[in-house]
Amino acid sequence: MNPESRGQRFPSSEKIYGALLRAYPPAHRVAYGDAMAQLFRDQCRDAWSESKNFGLVKLWLRVLPDLVSTSIMERLAALNERKTMSDKLGNLAAFGPSPKAIFTRVFIAVFLMVVIISVAVTYILPETFASTAMIKIDRDDSNTGKPGSSSYHYDPYFMQTQFEIILSQSVLNPVIEKLHLNETWGKKYFAGEKLKDVESYEILKGRLSIAPVHNTTLAKITVYSEDRLEAAQIANAVAESYRTFRQKVRGELAEKGIAVLASQYEEESQRIKTAQGKVEALRQQAGGANIETSQPYLTAQAELQQMTDSHQFLNTKLKALQLDARIQGQTLVQIVDPAEPGKAPVKPNKTVNITIGAFVGIFAAGIIGGLAALVTSNIRKRRQSANAPA
Amino acid sequence: MANPKTDPESLLPLTPAVFHILLSLAGGDRHGYAIMQDVAESTEGQIKLGPGTLYGTVKRLLEAQLIEESDERPDAHLDDERRRYYRLTGVGERVVRAEAQRYADIVAIARGKKLIGKTAMAWLPGGTA
Repeated sequence: MNPESRGQRFPSSEKIYGALLRAYPPAHRVAYGDAMAQLFRDQCRDAWSESKNFGLVKLWLRVLPDLVSTSIMERLAALNERKTMSDKLGNLAAFGPSPKAIFTRVFIAVFLMVVIISVAVTYILPETFASTAMIKIDRDDSNTGKPGSSSYHYDPYFMQTQFEIILSQSVLNPVIEKLHLNETWGKKYFAGEKLKDVESYEILKGRLSIAPVHNTTLAKITVYSEDRLEAAQIANAVAESYRTFRQKVRGELAEKGIAVLASQYEEESQRIKTAQGKVEALRQQAGGANIETSQPYLTAQAELQQMTDSHQFLNTKLKALQLDARIQGQTLVQIVDPAEPGKAPVKPNKTVNITIGAFVGIFAAGIIGGLAALVTSNIRKRRQSANAPA
Repeated sequence: MANPKTDPESLLPLTPAVFHILLSLAGGDRHGYAIMQDVAESTEGQIKLGPGTLYGTVKRLLEAQLIEESDERPDAHLDDERRRYYRLTGVGERVVRAEAQRYADIVAIARGKKLIGKTAMAWLPGGTA
């Protein structure tokens, strides 16, 4: 045990465990109840120093089955002791409690135990908050063509593909880096040991949920965390990282297209210069006389004009592409609603958990109570026949 | 439990929890938490006794007179006075020795059949090969 944590208390857990000790027979509780509570307290301290709340949850998940199985065992052992005693008393205690009374007692005991356990688990589980950022995802028309144009093709898997991109390391690793999640989660869940990117990535991926908004190009990025502020920060960071990623990809594609056009533009410039030289040479050759009727000159002049027109068109296209890349890159992803910290936890759902616990309790109590009543009934019948006059 | 005073082997085989608790007390007097820690340490964390299992087993071991409460407090200056210490009785020691010998015999058989190497010490319940 960590000496610094020797005096640390866990009032909720200790209180619940103290209440659950009632599952044991009174004699066992009197003899060992305090020692068990003390051991549980020691284990709580160890679990806390190991990994805080997560450690406590793990401890409870280990202790609860232990408590249920050993309490049933102790109860059965206590019943056997009583049975031995009643055998010794012979006819004086021939009939004992009726099967109906046994059923009621067992039913109440089992039902209460299951309900108490479900309440305990519900209140021990850490609260989880959810924060959602809403984004608008547009297609990149440079790949698919504009709707209505001949080059346009519809991609039915577009949104699904984008969701997978959002969950990829290319988008999530910058989030891990920006929010220092390796350090933060290492401190929180792994006793201060800094996590690797891939470990944080797996945790982050597990906490992310992406859902489309029906019949729109909107998507909801929801992040779950026990820290409401952290959930909102991560959701916003994921939305921003995805937007940056799409801009970067779009920029790279546009740069390639612009580079090809620029190269063509340069080649055209060279050809125009050559053509201009040729026209000038023909004009000097004609010496100024009847130049308007010189066929070679007129042909060369017409070719030059055609080249100049094409060159201007190329220039316009280049500028349009540069402008388009700048504008469309910024509008591919729009953050419509940034995430806000959640006001109330979304998990555990206390009402649902306790209701399920109650239903399971009724079911289990009915079966176990019925079996107990059946056994009691058989014992009574045997005793009645043994006591019957010959 | 059977009376082991005349024949310790009448109690064998022991359950893993009983054997580990007796093994732990073979190393000296211990209270419940120290037993739990010792078992967890010796099994490299594979067996972590819960309070219910530990004290249920302790109760049965006391009833069978394999262990008894000890008045000596090895860590009196460090410890909570309310902690109860336990120690092996003579019978308990004979039983744990007999169980250890039983495992040793099993290991010898397994080695004879070349199922485990000479260095394998994973014969304890909860141990790994």
